[in-house]
Amino acid sequence: MSFLELKSLCKNFGGLRAVDDFTLTIEEGSLNALVGPNGCGKSTLFNLITGVLKPDAGKVCFKEHNITGWPSHKIARLGVGRKFQVPAIFEELTIRENLVIAARNTANRAAINGILAQINLIEAEHMLAGELAHGQKQWLEIGLLLAQAPSLILLDEPTAGMTAAETRATADLITRINRDQGITVLVIEHDMGFIEHLACPLHVMSKGQILKSGHFADIRKDAEVKALYFGQAEALSDA
Amino acid sequence: MRNNLIALLVFAVLAASPVAIGGYWTGQLTAYLVYGLLAMSLSLVWGYGGILCFGQAMFFGIGGYIMAVLTKGMILPELTSSYLGLIAAMAGSALFALALGYFLFAGRGISGAYLAIITLAMALVLERLMNNWYALGGYNGLLNVPPIKLNFFGASFELWDRMPTFYAVLAVVALVYFLVTWLLSSAYGLRLTAIRTHPDRLASLGYNVLTIRLSVFALSAAIAGLAGAIFVTLDGFASPTLIGFTLSTEALIWVAIGGKEMLLAAFLGAILTRTAESWLSEIFGDYWILILGIAFMISVVLLPKGLLATPLEKLTGSKRKKTR
Repeated sequence: MSFLELKSLCKNFGGLRAVDDFTLTIEEGSLNALVGPNGCGKSTLFNLITGVLKPDAGKVCFKEHNITGWPSHKIARLGVGRKFQVPAIFEELTIRENLVIAARNTANRAAINGILAQINLIEAEHMLAGELAHGQKQWLEIGLLLAQAPSLILLDEPTAGMTAAETRATADLITRINRDQGITVLVIEHDMGFIEHLACPLHVMSKGQILKSGHFADIRKDAEVKALYFGQAEALSDA
Repeated sequence: MRNNLIALLVFAVLAASPVAIGGYWTGQLTAYLVYGLLAMSLSLVWGYGGILCFGQAMFFGIGGYIMAVLTKGMILPELTSSYLGLIAAMAGSALFALALGYFLFAGRGISGAYLAIITLAMALVLERLMNNWYALGGYNGLLNVPPIKLNFFGASFELWDRMPTFYAVLAVVALVYFLVTWLLSSAYGLRLTAIRTHPDRLASLGYNVLTIRLSVFALSAAIAGLAGAIFVTLDGFASPTLIGFTLSTEALIWVAIGGKEMLLAAFLGAILTRTAESWLSEIFGDYWILILGIAFMISVVLLPKGLLATPLEKLTGSKRKKTR
């Protein structure tokens, strides 16, 4: 059995099929990116994996467990960390307190200083999280995932609202987390420059399904993907 | 640390006050201390746990009735211990909160205005139930609830007189205050702040949000139940008004005026509002409620953290949104 296996997942909201017979396998230690236009079902997919939503059909298997429909906290305890689209941190607590909560046990708490250095917030550790700049809030949220000591992290638009320099730093951070710590990463992102920087397998999603999978260089030339992002007319003119 | 010093100062002033205010007002202040305990329980669940319970008096009333029924010997004539009554009152209120809380918070859970409406409706239902439960005195309530009987190393005495009753109640209130403050300064307090601001994030870090919500709801109910149990022994009377809409709403106003996110402010909010009520109602009659309404509006609009919490936060020098 694979590390993370999504089998024929379906999720409907009324008459809208947000995720449609979605199948994907993620290998342990890999870094993958998921792209697609707004409303194509990317965040819904993360909600199905993390137990925020229950699928109408299909299965989610993680580390040999069928976790379909499990509550969020049980899935998190199994080693799945998730970054939300809008930074989800505890703004009334200090940065260190945020990490202490995320660590949950003494063994993980020992790693907090290292995580603070990794996310570049060691000098601000006693600041209230709500006082951070937007980009720093995104990093803190990634720090929360690291303190959780997960084996899989799901990042939903980790660079949204960041400057170009912050985006590059975030791409480096994610690459290091995957390469040096061996954590499997699945990232949703719109910023193609960021995706290119990650240099990882890419899955393009459309209407709740995988449209294409491959490497960035191949995907960017694909006519169907171009049409999806830039419209049919431009794709045809390119051809 | 500074918070604890200020709290110690407040309790010291309260302890010294009978010398200045005389017997009648000492009796009144004893009742206000109990209301302060109820206000603390609401501050814990609302200000710290983020659960707006509009029917907090139901736990107060349940505690009061359990204490009355047990100590009057209505269940077993030989089981009339005050200690047992107090423990049963806390346990009964907490169990009721656990059962109610499970239906409120399980699954996606109910929050915000819906939660407030359901808890308010529940308090109204219980008040109506007690009005018609004739075995428990119905509309007239239960009379002749005995005072608390304390046993120390074989010696026992009843809390009849104003002074010993006042100091015993003050000791219980101070003990509860410092225990809850200690709890809030622990990892549990961090979790409460986290659950209030971002429950989904907390769940995605591996915490069972339902368990944490139930625990704070039950703890707050136990404190309210303890307050109710003490209260019925002061007057010797348990009535349906202890459980329903009016007291629930009053408690909400005390806490909002004092400051819901600060235990000490909520406690003082209850004492000051009740004291003001006594003075102002003598001068203005029923119109005093207008003054209370104005104070409430000022608190909500100009000082949303509370009339007392705002200066108290300055005194403690806390930069935090919440004093823990």
